[in-house]
Amino acid sequence: MSLNKPGNHDEALGKLLQEWRANAPLPPRFQEAVWRRIEGAQASAAPSVWTFIARWIGTVLPRPALAASYLAILLTLGATAGWTHARQETARVKGELGERYIRSLDPYAMPRQ
Amino acid sequence: MKKGLIILLLGLAVAAAAYGCIYFVCTSSARNLEQSSKPELAWLKEEFNLSDSEFKRVCELHEAYLPQCAEMCRQVEAQNQRVRTLLAATNQMTADIESAIAESARLRGQCQRNMLQHFYEVSRTMPPEQGRRYLAWVQERTFQTGEGMMHDNGNAMKPE
Repeated sequence: MSLNKPGNHDEALGKLLQEWRANAPLPPRFQEAVWRRIEGAQASAAPSVWTFIARWIGTVLPRPALAASYLAILLTLGATAGWTHARQETARVKGELGERYIRSLDPYAMPRQ
Repeated sequence: MKKGLIILLLGLAVAAAAYGCIYFVCTSSARNLEQSSKPELAWLKEEFNLSDSEFKRVCELHEAYLPQCAEMCRQVEAQNQRVRTLLAATNQMTADIESAIAESARLRGQCQRNMLQHFYEVSRTMPPEQGRRYLAWVQERTFQTGEGMMHDNGNAMKPE
């Protein structure tokens, strides 16, 4: 009856385990197989690039200084790309209009390459 | 993770917004030119910093020149057609071909004289510095295209 109480149960189990002896022989190359399994588990647990990025986004990016720098850099990159593209587009449009002006006056004018 | 993801996406949105705003603002002048009623003349006004009165005079000169230019175009095209017909009809030089070539040259000379006259008139309506720049620009595009010698092995422009 008293074995049903938690304390008595652990005590009895402990005594039983101390008395237990395993006499069966280990399978061949048991130790080597164990180490091979440990190494395999470690290799599969190596962090991938995505894990690294996810960890960086989750832990490093939210730091205030880094977040502010990140936003400032992307703001600058976006503005620079917009300005560069706009300059190219404006030059293209003005060049085309200049050629149109010439073609409107010169019967021999050919579109330039 | 969620906060980091929000910052990541916010950064991309900020970059896209900056790109769009700067692009929109910086291309507004080109857009205005394209949307004007006479884009090439509007471009001329902007390129050579013409005042409204100068621009009005340039437009008048342009409108007056266009009928002459259209007539020259018609004559040039008719003459080109005549030369093509003559060339297709024979395999040797004939008096008609010589006459057609001479007429083509005369038309080209007439066309260039008319153009040059127009360019001088337009340049005189501009401030002197802009007028000089305009003349250099139009002459470079109308009188110096395809004028190079093609069969000289690159020696024609070399000094003696």
